[in-house]
Amino acid sequence: MARSPRPGASSPALSRRGVLQLGGGVALLFATGACAADSGDKSTDGKSGGDAAKTLRIAVSSYLSSWDQDFVGFDLTALMLYKNVFPYLVDYGVTNAGGSQILDTQNITPTFAESFEPDAEQKVWTLKLRRGVKFASGNEMKAADVKWSKDRAFAAQANVAGVYRTIGLTSADQVKVVDDYTVEFHQAFPSALTRQIQAISLYVFDSVEAKKRASASDPWAKEWFAKNPPTGGYFNVAKATQGQEIELSANTGYPGPDPAKTPTIRISVVPAASNQRLQLQAGDIDIALGISQRDIQDLKKAPGIKVISAASNRQVAIQMSVTAAPFNDVNVRKALAYAVPYEQIINNVYGGDARAAKSPVPLDMPGYDESGYPFTYDLDKAKAAMAAAGRASLDSELVFEADNEEQQKIAVQVQSEAAKAGIRLKLTPLDPATLGERRTKKNIPLQITSGQLWVDDVEYMLATSFVKGANLNYSNYSNPEIEQIYEKSHTTVDTGARNALWKRVQEILAADVPWVVICQPNFNLPVRESVAGWVQPMDGLARLRYLSASA
Amino acid sequence: MRIFRFVARRLLQLIPVLLGVVVLAFLLVRVLPGDPVRSILGQNATEEDAAAARARFGLDQSLWQQFLDYLGGLLTGDFGTSIQSGSSVGSEMALRVGPTLELVVISVTIALVVATLLGIWSAKRANRAGDHSVRIFALVGNSVPEFWLGLVLVLVGYSILGWFPAPNGRVDPDTGLTPLTGADLVDAVLTANGPAIASAAAYLVLPVLTLVVGVVAPLLRSVRASALEVLHSESYAAAKAHGLRDRTLHYGYLLRATLVRLPSLAALVFGTAIGSTVLVEYVYSWQGFGQWALRGLLYRDYPVVQASVLVIALCYVLVFLIADVVHAILDPRVRL
Repeated sequence: MARSPRPGASSPALSRRGVLQLGGGVALLFATGACAADSGDKSTDGKSGGDAAKTLRIAVSSYLSSWDQDFVGFDLTALMLYKNVFPYLVDYGVTNAGGSQILDTQNITPTFAESFEPDAEQKVWTLKLRRGVKFASGNEMKAADVKWSKDRAFAAQANVAGVYRTIGLTSADQVKVVDDYTVEFHQAFPSALTRQIQAISLYVFDSVEAKKRASASDPWAKEWFAKNPPTGGYFNVAKATQGQEIELSANTGYPGPDPAKTPTIRISVVPAASNQRLQLQAGDIDIALGISQRDIQDLKKAPGIKVISAASNRQVAIQMSVTAAPFNDVNVRKALAYAVPYEQIINNVYGGDARAAKSPVPLDMPGYDESGYPFTYDLDKAKAAMAAAGRASLDSELVFEADNEEQQKIAVQVQSEAAKAGIRLKLTPLDPATLGERRTKKNIPLQITSGQLWVDDVEYMLATSFVKGANLNYSNYSNPEIEQIYEKSHTTVDTGARNALWKRVQEILAADVPWVVICQPNFNLPVRESVAGWVQPMDGLARLRYLSASA
Repeated sequence: MRIFRFVARRLLQLIPVLLGVVVLAFLLVRVLPGDPVRSILGQNATEEDAAAARARFGLDQSLWQQFLDYLGGLLTGDFGTSIQSGSSVGSEMALRVGPTLELVVISVTIALVVATLLGIWSAKRANRAGDHSVRIFALVGNSVPEFWLGLVLVLVGYSILGWFPAPNGRVDPDTGLTPLTGADLVDAVLTANGPAIASAAAYLVLPVLTLVVGVVAPLLRSVRASALEVLHSESYAAAKAHGLRDRTLHYGYLLRATLVRLPSLAALVFGTAIGSTVLVEYVYSWQGFGQWALRGLLYRDYPVVQASVLVIALCYVLVFLIADVVHAILDPRVRL
């Protein structure tokens, strides 16, 4: 048997020198790192002390997928950035609610526009532009830019074209240029939603620059707009380092109310929530937009950090398929509604920082009524409802988003309690594309949904979630009376009359129970203590112009 | 000359291989359940809006027509348009490949050097303390998940020690680096941007270290085993008995024979490293090819998935070609 040759004294070259070289190499590598770390990252002016008042650093979870708002997918980072870099001609005001500042969806004010008012019939809306508002190119914003932007939306079937249908705008011909600073929108019918719909749709491209980039094969300059940031909003993009950081500089030429309070905002991409937390604690970022609930609970006790908590209209629910067994039976739906441990979920998943929901209409939405969801956790009533349905037990599937920790926790707690009422649930996490496909096919018996509506109005809620064929109507729910109310609401502009309609809607939904409404979690945002001015966006898209940091 | 003929022949063989990959990727991504269009629609989109979106990306065409369009595009260098972003896939990929290749190439190169040095050093000290340490290191490297190691390195290197920059990208944006290849360190060197060189190097240390630890372990075990085999061989014993110099023994007999198996393994490990970048890029906010491909897959962004599979296949084939050539150079018994 051969022995391993023992290295003799004459063969140590590799062992000693090699190890020394290796050690030296590693040391050099680390030294380079340490040196560069000192010279680079730490020396920027974005820290929370000193001149932090000039610069705010915000971490987000992902880089935006495109700069073209007309054709982007559902990308929250992108949508948030658009709100701050596109000139939106009208926007929500600000109000106080429960000690926090929130966007006031009932108060929509001109920003880059001078005015936006209807005629007596509320069918023709006149938009007057401020004079002297300029894009970064130096081109003045004129009516032609508004017209080109809307022509683009209709011709290219952009997202806005779909939104405009809600207020009776279906063709580019309905947008008319009166003069250089006046545009008219001729709606097919008056609508109480017009201001809110325009608040999310009335953004303007620099059409002079766009036309330079257009070609026969790309008449709307889609390729160029996908890669190049728009200009002329509250902020301009000073620098965009692909995938890594976007630097915004305040648009000093903005002539309207509430200009940006911080000259420079640096938005860095940090996908891992734990890394956002570390950077916030180290003072390398001032605001962490994308941190997990668990980290937020810990950060409440961390020195130098405060967690802003604001009432939100984000609603968490379970949509039940009302057209497929077993949830096509209203008694089975009621059984589940009684079997869900609402308080337990609020405490265990949200640390108590959520509001119990009493209606499918979100709390704080105009027209909200507590009659909309009369269900509380009561296993006896759940068992009675099962008995009324003629069932002792049943099996079903509860679908939720894969990689969504919050929904997973909810699913586990619902599964545990529903089993006590005889409802055995198999938990199924799905990736976004598979979830989308199954939603299209309407073959999900139970699914957890979470989100907030872009327009704070029951008519919009019905349009998106409760009328036949609505995009978010995963329950496949339809009720003839609700369809009638929805049609009637298009032309009902009186607030009292609308609220009467919404009360009836909630009575119907309480009887039909298409959703289990779990709760409305508050919005939590961990920031450095020096940060002030956060305004809770009711559409989920932060308005960065209000933010500031004390020096 | 023989090697050149071999390379030319293998490059020609690439054509049917890549064509097969193109066909399979095209079909398989469509077999997967999932609707690529649903996620780009607004809250109040109708079925007509969904149909319009499908038509915009040619998804309303027959499968055969879609394939012909895709193939025609490939021949002109057009990888299609991303459904999620509306941008050209080719231009998106150009931004993503460089950073990932830089990470993988540097990591695998360091891993190869470390594995060779430590593996031979360890074999020469078989069953002694140094050898046991190396073997334990290899075991740990094999066992530790990359994302966990990455998080620990961030915690120690950035948060506790403060030696390394925050895990928020690849280079300090304030260095004013002009992107050329997408590989920031390379770009910094090419543009002679001193601060960017230092910054890119600093940002690279932790992700490279994370990948190296995972990649070096199998290489290390292989080199050590090969070296032990050579050290126990009759030819090595005969050479030593003839009183050859240590240097000749080391380089002429031990090193070359030990490294014969390494190229094939290194090629395999290169593939593993590309796969590992998905999590490493996530932890270090690297925004490279792995994260881009993963997002494409999650949202069934067909053009993105097709392009990423094609590029990964191309990388694999080229790396194995290089491995075969290096193997032939190291081992004279191999006939090309």
